Amino acid sequence: MKAEKIFESKDHAWIVFGRDIDKPNAIIDTNQYMVVSKNNALLMDPGGIELFSAMLSAVIKEVPAQKITHLFASHQDPDIISSLGLWDLALTEATLHSPWLWEGFIRHFGMQNIEYDGIPDEGGRLHLDDVSLEFIPAHYLHSSGNFNVYDPKAKILMSGDIGAALEADDVPLFVDNFDEHVPKMKMFHQRWMPSNKAKNAWVKRVRQLNIDMMCPQHGRIFKGDDVGKFLDWFESLEVGLTMDKL
Amino acid sequence: MSKLDSNYFVAAATIAAKLDYATKVAHQLSLTASNARALTLRAGQSAAGFRPLTDAIHRLSDITVSSSKKINAIAAMLSKMSVEKYRADSAMKYFDAVYLKSKDSRHLASLDKVYNRTKESQAVLMADYQQKIQQLTQELEAVEGELRSAVVLKTLCQVEASQAGPLYQDALDNVAENVEQIAAKIKEQVIFSRHQVATLH
Repeated sequence: MKAEKIFESKDHAWIVFGRDIDKPNAIIDTNQYMVVSKNNALLMDPGGIELFSAMLSAVIKEVPAQKITHLFASHQDPDIISSLGLWDLALTEATLHSPWLWEGFIRHFGMQNIEYDGIPDEGGRLHLDDVSLEFIPAHYLHSSGNFNVYDPKAKILMSGDIGAALEADDVPLFVDNFDEHVPKMKMFHQRWMPSNKAKNAWVKRVRQLNIDMMCPQHGRIFKGDDVGKFLDWFESLEVGLTMDKL
Repeated sequence: MSKLDSNYFVAAATIAAKLDYATKVAHQLSLTASNARALTLRAGQSAAGFRPLTDAIHRLSDITVSSSKKINAIAAMLSKMSVEKYRADSAMKYFDAVYLKSKDSRHLASLDKVYNRTKESQAVLMADYQQKIQQLTQELEAVEGELRSAVVLKTLCQVEASQAGPLYQDALDNVAENVEQIAAKIKEQVIFSRHQVATLH
Protein backbone atom coordinates (compact mmCIF):
# COMPACT_ATOMS: atom_id res chain seq x y z
CA MET A 1 0.00 0.00 0.00
CA LYS A 2 1.45 3.33 -1.08
CA ALA A 3 1.07 6.42 1.10
CA GLU A 4 1.61 9.93 -0.21
CA LYS A 5 1.26 13.26 1.51
CA ILE A 6 -0.78 15.51 -0.78
CA PHE A 7 -1.01 18.53 1.51
CA GLU A 8 0.87 19.81 4.53
CA SER A 9 0.53 22.96 6.63
CA LYS A 10 1.56 23.94 10.12
CA ASP A 11 -1.58 22.50 11.67
CA HIS A 12 -2.52 19.54 9.50
CA ALA A 13 -1.73 17.22 6.64
CA TRP A 14 -3.60 15.10 4.09
CA ILE A 15 -2.31 11.64 3.20
CA VAL A 16 -3.66 9.36 0.47
CA PHE A 17 -3.30 5.57 0.68
CA GLY A 18 -3.77 3.31 -2.32
CA ARG A 19 -2.24 1.50 -5.29
CA ASP A 20 -1.76 -1.61 -3.15
CA ILE A 21 0.28 -4.09 -5.20
CA ASP A 22 -0.72 -6.99 -2.93
CA LYS A 23 -4.45 -6.36 -3.37
CA PRO A 24 -6.43 -9.38 -4.72
CA ASN A 25 -7.05 -8.78 -8.45
CA ALA A 26 -10.80 -9.19 -8.39
CA ILE A 27 -11.50 -6.31 -6.02
CA ILE A 28 -11.70 -2.71 -7.16
CA ASP A 29 -8.77 -0.47 -6.28
CA THR A 30 -9.60 2.22 -3.74
CA ASN A 31 -8.09 5.42 -2.40
CA GLN A 32 -8.21 5.99 1.35
CA TYR A 33 -7.54 9.44 2.81
CA MET A 34 -6.38 10.59 6.20
CA VAL A 35 -6.30 14.07 7.72
CA VAL A 36 -3.76 14.35 10.52
CA SER A 37 -3.90 17.27 12.94
CA LYS A 38 -1.99 17.94 16.15
CA ASN A 39 -3.56 15.28 18.37
CA ASN A 40 -6.09 13.56 16.16
CA ALA A 41 -6.51 11.87 12.83
CA LEU A 42 -9.53 11.28 10.60
CA LEU A 43 -9.52 8.23 8.35
CA MET A 44 -11.89 8.61 5.41
CA ASP A 45 -13.52 5.69 3.59
CA PRO A 46 -11.11 3.24 5.26
CA GLY A 47 -11.93 0.44 2.79
CA GLY A 48 -12.93 -3.19 2.73
CA ILE A 49 -11.96 -6.17 4.86
CA GLU A 50 -9.51 -7.40 2.21
CA LEU A 51 -7.47 -4.21 2.56
CA PHE A 52 -7.52 -3.97 6.34
CA SER A 53 -4.05 -5.36 7.14
CA ALA A 54 -2.40 -3.36 4.37
CA MET A 55 -4.24 -0.21 5.46
CA LEU A 56 -3.48 -0.55 9.15
CA SER A 57 0.17 -1.29 8.32
CA ALA A 58 0.33 1.83 6.17
CA VAL A 59 -1.48 4.01 8.70
CA ILE A 60 0.77 3.15 11.66
CA LYS A 61 3.77 4.16 9.62
CA GLU A 62 2.30 7.66 9.73
CA VAL A 63 0.56 7.94 13.13
CA PRO A 64 0.06 5.81 16.27
CA ALA A 65 -3.19 3.83 16.16
CA GLN A 66 -4.57 5.75 19.17
CA LYS A 67 -4.35 8.98 17.22
CA ILE A 68 -7.11 7.85 14.87
CA THR A 69 -10.06 9.24 16.78
CA HIS A 70 -12.41 9.73 13.84
CA LEU A 71 -13.54 7.64 10.90
CA PHE A 72 -15.68 8.83 8.03
CA ALA A 73 -17.73 6.66 5.68
CA SER A 74 -19.19 8.59 2.76
CA HIS A 75 -21.84 5.88 2.35
CA GLN A 76 -22.52 2.23 3.11
CA ASP A 77 -20.73 0.31 0.36
CA PRO A 78 -18.43 -2.63 1.20
CA ASP A 79 -15.38 -1.07 -0.48
CA ILE A 80 -15.94 1.97 1.76
CA ILE A 81 -16.46 0.51 5.20
CA SER A 82 -16.74 -3.31 5.36
CA SER A 83 -13.50 -3.30 7.40
CA LEU A 84 -15.41 -1.57 10.23
CA GLY A 85 -15.60 -4.72 12.39
CA LEU A 86 -11.79 -4.87 12.42
CA TRP A 87 -11.25 -1.14 12.99
CA ASP A 88 -13.69 -1.57 15.84
CA LEU A 89 -11.14 -3.87 17.48
CA ALA A 90 -8.09 -1.86 16.48
CA LEU A 91 -9.12 1.59 17.68
CA THR A 92 -9.52 2.26 21.38
CA GLU A 93 -11.66 5.38 21.13
CA ALA A 94 -13.11 6.51 17.86
CA THR A 95 -16.25 7.98 16.33
CA LEU A 96 -17.58 7.06 12.91
CA HIS A 97 -19.18 9.94 11.01
CA SER A 98 -21.52 8.69 8.35
CA PRO A 99 -24.97 9.49 6.92
CA TRP A 100 -27.68 9.05 9.56
CA LEU A 101 -29.60 7.12 6.92
CA TRP A 102 -27.17 4.21 6.96
CA GLU A 103 -26.59 3.68 10.67
CA GLY A 104 -28.75 0.57 10.99
CA PHE A 105 -27.13 -0.90 7.89
CA ILE A 106 -23.49 -0.02 8.58
CA ARG A 107 -23.72 -1.52 12.07
CA HIS A 108 -24.12 -4.89 10.33
CA PHE A 109 -20.37 -4.75 9.61
CA GLY A 110 -19.78 -5.14 13.37
CA MET A 111 -19.49 -2.17 15.70
CA GLN A 112 -19.31 -2.62 19.45
CA ASN A 113 -16.74 -0.03 20.52
CA ILE A 114 -16.79 2.73 17.94
CA GLU A 115 -19.45 5.42 18.38
CA TYR A 116 -21.75 6.27 15.45
CA ASP A 117 -22.30 9.94 14.71
CA GLY A 118 -25.04 10.19 12.11
CA ILE A 119 -24.56 13.16 9.77
CA PRO A 120 -27.88 14.95 9.14
CA ASP A 121 -29.03 15.31 5.52
CA GLU A 122 -28.01 18.97 5.35
CA GLY A 123 -24.40 18.17 6.36
CA GLY A 124 -22.26 19.21 9.29
CA ARG A 125 -18.80 20.04 10.58
CA LEU A 126 -16.01 18.20 12.32
CA HIS A 127 -13.34 19.99 14.34
CA LEU A 128 -10.02 18.26 14.38
CA ASP A 129 -7.89 20.38 16.74
CA ASP A 130 -7.47 23.65 14.79
CA VAL A 131 -8.90 22.24 11.58
CA SER A 132 -12.54 22.55 10.64
CA LEU A 133 -13.85 20.07 8.09
CA GLU A 134 -17.25 20.24 6.39
CA PHE A 135 -19.51 17.34 5.46
CA ILE A 136 -20.97 18.35 2.10
CA PRO A 137 -24.21 16.63 0.98
CA ALA A 138 -23.78 14.46 -2.11
CA HIS A 139 -26.97 12.43 -1.84
CA TYR A 140 -27.77 10.04 -4.70
CA LEU A 141 -24.20 10.33 -5.95
CA HIS A 142 -24.41 7.45 -5.92
CA SER A 143 -25.87 6.42 -2.58
CA SER A 144 -29.17 7.82 -1.29
CA GLY A 145 -27.35 9.01 1.85
CA ASN A 146 -23.93 10.31 0.80
CA PHE A 147 -21.41 12.98 1.84
CA ASN A 148 -18.12 14.50 0.70
CA VAL A 149 -15.57 16.06 3.05
CA TYR A 150 -14.35 19.59 2.36
CA ASP A 151 -11.33 21.18 3.95
CA PRO A 152 -11.42 24.98 3.35
CA LYS A 153 -7.88 25.50 4.64
CA ALA A 154 -6.32 22.89 2.39
CA LYS A 155 -8.90 23.56 -0.36
CA ILE A 156 -9.40 19.83 -0.76
CA LEU A 157 -12.68 18.06 -1.48
CA MET A 158 -12.78 14.34 -0.77
CA SER A 159 -15.48 13.49 -3.28
CA GLY A 160 -16.13 9.80 -2.64
CA ASP A 161 -17.39 8.07 -5.79
CA ILE A 162 -17.78 11.36 -7.67
CA GLY A 163 -14.85 11.66 -10.06
CA ALA A 164 -14.06 7.96 -9.80
CA ALA A 165 -12.40 6.21 -12.71
CA LEU A 166 -12.04 2.54 -13.58
CA GLU A 167 -8.51 1.82 -14.70
CA ALA A 168 -5.40 -0.23 -13.91
CA ASP A 169 -4.20 -0.44 -10.30
CA ASP A 170 -0.77 1.10 -10.89
CA VAL A 171 -1.70 4.36 -12.65
CA PRO A 172 -0.38 7.75 -11.49
CA LEU A 173 -2.05 9.41 -8.53
CA PHE A 174 -3.04 12.61 -10.37
CA VAL A 175 -4.95 13.21 -13.60
CA ASP A 176 -2.35 14.30 -16.15
CA ASN A 177 -4.55 14.64 -19.24
CA PHE A 178 -8.22 15.40 -18.55
CA ASP A 179 -9.51 14.56 -22.05
CA GLU A 180 -7.80 11.18 -22.00
CA HIS A 181 -9.19 10.55 -18.54
CA VAL A 182 -12.84 11.12 -19.49
CA PRO A 183 -13.48 7.67 -21.08
CA LYS A 184 -12.30 6.05 -17.86
CA MET A 185 -14.96 7.91 -15.87
CA LYS A 186 -17.93 8.02 -18.24
CA MET A 187 -19.53 4.59 -17.74
CA PHE A 188 -18.94 4.72 -13.99
CA HIS A 189 -20.86 7.96 -13.59
CA GLN A 190 -23.61 7.15 -16.07
CA ARG A 191 -24.33 3.76 -14.52
CA TRP A 192 -23.77 4.38 -10.82
CA MET A 193 -25.20 7.89 -10.51
CA PRO A 194 -29.01 7.66 -10.67
CA SER A 195 -30.19 11.27 -10.86
CA ASN A 196 -29.45 14.28 -13.08
CA LYS A 197 -31.30 16.46 -10.59
CA ALA A 198 -29.07 15.34 -7.70
CA LYS A 199 -25.98 15.64 -9.88
CA ASN A 200 -26.76 19.20 -10.97
CA ALA A 201 -27.59 20.28 -7.42
CA TRP A 202 -24.23 18.90 -6.28
CA VAL A 203 -22.33 20.67 -9.09
CA LYS A 204 -24.02 23.95 -8.15
CA ARG A 205 -23.14 23.42 -4.47
CA VAL A 206 -19.54 22.49 -5.13
CA ARG A 207 -18.95 25.39 -7.55
CA GLN A 208 -19.29 27.67 -4.53
CA LEU A 209 -16.33 26.01 -2.81
CA ASN A 210 -12.73 26.96 -3.34
CA ILE A 211 -11.11 23.70 -4.46
CA ASP A 212 -7.50 23.01 -5.39
CA MET A 213 -7.79 19.25 -5.27
CA MET A 214 -10.74 16.93 -5.75
CA CYS A 215 -10.01 13.47 -4.37
CA PRO A 216 -12.21 10.56 -5.44
CA GLN A 217 -12.28 7.13 -3.83
CA HIS A 218 -11.29 5.34 -7.07
CA GLY A 219 -8.87 6.47 -9.74
CA ARG A 220 -6.94 9.72 -9.85
CA ILE A 221 -6.97 13.04 -8.03
CA PHE A 222 -8.00 16.20 -9.94
CA LYS A 223 -5.78 19.20 -9.40
CA GLY A 224 -6.05 22.90 -10.33
CA ASP A 225 -7.95 23.53 -13.58
CA ASP A 226 -8.94 19.89 -13.88
CA VAL A 227 -11.36 20.38 -10.99
CA GLY A 228 -13.35 22.94 -12.99
CA LYS A 229 -13.09 20.78 -16.11
CA PHE A 230 -14.55 17.88 -14.18
CA LEU A 231 -17.47 19.97 -12.90
CA ASP A 232 -18.25 21.16 -16.47
CA TRP A 233 -18.02 17.64 -17.85
CA PHE A 234 -20.15 16.14 -15.07
CA GLU A 235 -22.77 18.86 -15.40
CA SER A 236 -23.25 18.09 -19.07
CA LEU A 237 -23.30 14.30 -18.61
CA GLU A 238 -26.65 12.51 -18.76
CA VAL A 239 -26.78 9.97 -15.96
CA GLY A 240 -29.05 7.33 -14.49
CA LEU A 241 -32.68 6.78 -15.39
CA THR A 242 -32.73 9.13 -18.38
CA MET A 243 -30.34 6.85 -20.25
CA ASP A 244 -31.93 4.84 -23.08
CA LYS A 245 -29.55 1.93 -23.28
CA LEU A 246 -30.50 0.00 -20.17
CA MET B 1 -8.37 -18.48 5.84
CA SER B 2 -8.88 -22.03 4.54
CA LYS B 3 -12.25 -23.74 4.35
CA LEU B 4 -11.18 -26.26 7.00
CA ASP B 5 -10.17 -23.50 9.39
CA SER B 6 -13.42 -21.64 9.08
CA ASN B 7 -16.09 -24.31 8.62
CA TYR B 8 -16.51 -24.93 12.36
CA PHE B 9 -19.17 -22.26 12.64
CA VAL B 10 -21.06 -23.86 9.76
CA ALA B 11 -20.82 -27.19 11.63
CA ALA B 12 -22.10 -25.52 14.82
CA ALA B 13 -25.05 -24.01 12.94
CA THR B 14 -25.81 -27.43 11.38
CA ILE B 15 -25.81 -29.05 14.83
CA ALA B 16 -28.19 -26.38 16.13
CA ALA B 17 -30.53 -26.98 13.16
CA LYS B 18 -30.45 -30.78 13.59
CA LEU B 19 -31.21 -30.49 17.30
CA ASP B 20 -34.01 -28.04 16.65
CA TYR B 21 -35.53 -30.73 14.43
CA ALA B 22 -34.94 -33.33 17.18
CA THR B 23 -36.88 -31.13 19.63
CA LYS B 24 -39.84 -31.02 17.25
CA VAL B 25 -39.75 -34.82 16.83
CA ALA B 26 -39.57 -35.26 20.62
CA HIS B 27 -42.96 -33.53 20.86
CA GLN B 28 -44.40 -36.31 18.68
CA LEU B 29 -43.27 -38.77 21.34
CA SER B 30 -45.23 -36.79 23.90
CA LEU B 31 -48.31 -37.05 21.68
CA THR B 32 -47.81 -40.81 21.31
CA ALA B 33 -47.58 -41.16 25.10
CA SER B 34 -50.90 -39.30 25.54
CA ASN B 35 -52.56 -41.39 22.83
CA ALA B 36 -51.31 -44.59 24.49
CA ARG B 37 -52.76 -43.54 27.82
CA ALA B 38 -56.16 -42.75 26.29
CA LEU B 39 -56.14 -46.06 24.46
CA THR B 40 -55.41 -48.11 27.59
CA LEU B 41 -58.21 -46.32 29.43
CA ARG B 42 -60.63 -47.22 26.66
CA ALA B 43 -59.36 -50.82 26.54
CA GLY B 44 -59.91 -51.19 30.29
CA GLN B 45 -58.92 -54.48 31.91
CA SER B 46 -57.81 -56.07 28.65
CA ALA B 47 -54.90 -53.59 28.44
CA ALA B 48 -54.09 -53.60 32.16
CA GLY B 49 -50.56 -54.80 31.49
CA PHE B 50 -50.00 -51.97 28.99
CA ARG B 51 -50.93 -49.19 31.39
CA PRO B 52 -47.65 -49.07 33.36
CA LEU B 53 -45.84 -48.93 30.03
CA THR B 54 -47.63 -45.71 29.09
CA ASP B 55 -46.01 -44.16 32.17
CA ALA B 56 -42.63 -45.28 30.83
CA ILE B 57 -43.45 -43.75 27.41
CA HIS B 58 -44.44 -40.53 29.16
CA ARG B 59 -41.23 -40.55 31.16
CA LEU B 60 -39.16 -41.13 28.02
CA SER B 61 -41.08 -38.39 26.25
CA ASP B 62 -40.61 -35.90 29.11
CA ILE B 63 -36.89 -36.60 29.35
CA THR B 64 -36.44 -36.39 25.58
CA VAL B 65 -38.40 -33.15 25.21
CA SER B 66 -36.65 -31.39 28.10
CA SER B 67 -33.21 -32.69 27.09
CA SER B 68 -33.79 -31.73 23.47
CA LYS B 69 -34.81 -28.22 24.49
CA LYS B 70 -31.76 -27.89 26.73
CA ILE B 71 -29.40 -29.32 24.09
CA ASN B 72 -30.96 -27.13 21.43
CA ALA B 73 -30.34 -24.03 23.54
CA ILE B 74 -26.70 -25.06 24.12
CA ALA B 75 -26.25 -25.75 20.41
CA ALA B 76 -27.75 -22.38 19.46
CA MET B 77 -25.40 -20.67 21.94
CA LEU B 78 -22.46 -22.66 20.58
CA SER B 79 -23.35 -21.60 17.06
CA LYS B 80 -23.41 -17.93 18.13
CA MET B 81 -20.12 -18.30 20.02
CA SER B 82 -18.47 -20.00 17.07
CA VAL B 83 -19.21 -16.96 14.89
CA GLU B 84 -17.75 -14.67 17.58
CA LYS B 85 -14.75 -16.98 17.81
CA TYR B 86 -14.34 -16.86 14.03
CA ARG B 87 -14.43 -13.06 14.16
CA ALA B 88 -11.83 -12.96 16.95
CA ASP B 89 -9.64 -15.54 15.17
CA SER B 90 -9.86 -13.51 11.94
CA ALA B 91 -8.99 -10.29 13.72
CA MET B 92 -5.90 -11.94 15.23
CA LYS B 93 -4.83 -13.11 11.77
CA TYR B 94 -5.22 -9.60 10.38
CA PHE B 95 -3.31 -8.12 13.30
CA ASP B 96 -0.56 -10.75 12.96
CA ALA B 97 -0.24 -9.79 9.30
CA VAL B 98 0.18 -6.14 10.30
CA TYR B 99 2.97 -7.02 12.74
CA LEU B 100 4.66 -9.04 10.02
CA LYS B 101 4.35 -6.29 7.41
CA SER B 102 5.25 -3.39 9.69
CA LYS B 103 8.39 -4.51 11.49
CA ASP B 104 10.04 -1.22 10.62
CA SER B 105 7.03 0.95 11.40
CA ARG B 106 7.75 3.62 14.00
CA HIS B 107 4.26 3.38 15.51
CA LEU B 108 3.97 -0.40 15.60
CA ALA B 109 4.01 -0.45 19.41
CA SER B 110 0.84 1.67 19.40
CA LEU B 111 -1.01 -1.50 18.42
CA ASP B 112 0.25 -3.57 21.36
CA LYS B 113 -2.61 -2.60 23.67
CA VAL B 114 -5.39 -3.51 21.25
CA TYR B 115 -3.50 -6.61 20.12
CA ASN B 116 -3.21 -7.88 23.70
CA ARG B 117 -6.81 -6.97 24.46
CA THR B 118 -8.06 -8.85 21.40
CA LYS B 119 -5.84 -11.82 22.24
CA GLU B 120 -7.20 -11.94 25.79
CA SER B 121 -10.78 -11.76 24.51
CA GLN B 122 -9.98 -14.54 22.07
CA ALA B 123 -8.59 -16.72 24.91
CA VAL B 124 -11.69 -16.15 27.08
CA LEU B 125 -13.95 -16.88 24.13
CA MET B 126 -11.98 -20.04 23.34
CA ALA B 127 -12.29 -21.29 26.95
CA ASP B 128 -16.06 -20.63 26.97
CA TYR B 129 -16.39 -22.26 23.58
CA GLN B 130 -14.53 -25.42 24.68
CA GLN B 131 -16.63 -25.58 27.83
CA LYS B 132 -19.82 -25.36 25.75
CA ILE B 133 -18.60 -28.15 23.47
CA GLN B 134 -17.96 -30.34 26.50
CA GLN B 135 -21.38 -29.56 27.95
CA LEU B 136 -23.07 -30.33 24.64
CA THR B 137 -21.20 -33.64 24.30
CA GLN B 138 -22.26 -34.73 27.79
CA GLU B 139 -25.89 -33.81 27.19
CA LEU B 140 -25.96 -35.61 23.84
CA GLU B 141 -24.47 -38.75 25.40
CA ALA B 142 -27.04 -38.62 28.20
CA VAL B 143 -30.04 -38.33 25.87
CA GLU B 144 -28.63 -41.04 23.62
CA GLY B 145 -28.46 -43.34 26.65
CA GLU B 146 -32.10 -42.59 27.49
CA LEU B 147 -33.18 -43.30 23.93
CA ARG B 148 -31.66 -46.80 24.12
CA SER B 149 -34.53 -47.76 26.41
CA ALA B 150 -36.97 -47.17 23.52
CA VAL B 151 -36.06 -50.54 21.94
CA VAL B 152 -36.80 -52.39 25.20
CA LEU B 153 -39.94 -50.35 25.64
CA LYS B 154 -41.13 -51.30 22.16
CA THR B 155 -40.62 -55.02 22.87
CA LEU B 156 -42.47 -54.81 26.19
CA CYS B 157 -45.30 -52.86 24.51
CA GLN B 158 -45.57 -55.53 21.78
CA VAL B 159 -45.77 -58.30 24.40
CA GLU B 160 -48.49 -56.47 26.31
CA ALA B 161 -50.33 -55.55 23.08
CA SER B 162 -50.55 -59.24 22.19
CA GLN B 163 -52.39 -59.80 25.51
CA ALA B 164 -54.90 -57.01 24.90
CA GLY B 165 -57.18 -58.97 22.58
CA PRO B 166 -57.96 -58.41 18.87
CA LEU B 167 -59.90 -55.17 19.39
CA TYR B 168 -56.94 -53.18 20.72
CA GLN B 169 -53.88 -55.20 19.66
CA ASP B 170 -53.28 -53.37 16.37
CA ALA B 171 -53.66 -49.95 17.96
CA LEU B 172 -51.30 -50.82 20.81
CA ASP B 173 -48.82 -52.40 18.39
CA ASN B 174 -48.94 -49.14 16.51
CA VAL B 175 -48.03 -47.27 19.70
CA ALA B 176 -45.07 -49.63 20.15
CA GLU B 177 -43.91 -48.99 16.59
CA ASN B 178 -44.32 -45.21 16.99
CA VAL B 179 -42.22 -45.17 20.15
CA GLU B 180 -39.38 -46.94 18.42
CA GLN B 181 -39.60 -44.95 15.18
CA ILE B 182 -39.74 -41.57 16.88
CA ALA B 183 -36.90 -42.51 19.22
CA ALA B 184 -34.86 -43.71 16.22
CA LYS B 185 -35.44 -40.38 14.44
CA ILE B 186 -34.27 -38.40 17.46
CA LYS B 187 -31.32 -40.74 17.96
CA GLU B 188 -30.27 -40.23 14.35
CA GLN B 189 -30.07 -36.45 14.90
CA VAL B 190 -28.30 -36.93 18.22
CA ILE B 191 -25.66 -39.31 16.80
CA PHE B 192 -25.07 -37.00 13.83
CA SER B 193 -24.70 -34.04 16.17
CA ARG B 194 -22.35 -35.94 18.49
CA HIS B 195 -20.07 -36.78 15.54
CA GLN B 196 -20.22 -33.17 14.35
CA VAL B 197 -19.42 -31.84 17.82
CA ALA B 198 -16.32 -34.04 17.83
CA THR B 199 -15.06 -32.15 14.75
CA LEU B 200 -15.33 -28.75 16.47
CA HIS B 201 -12.13 -27.34 17.87
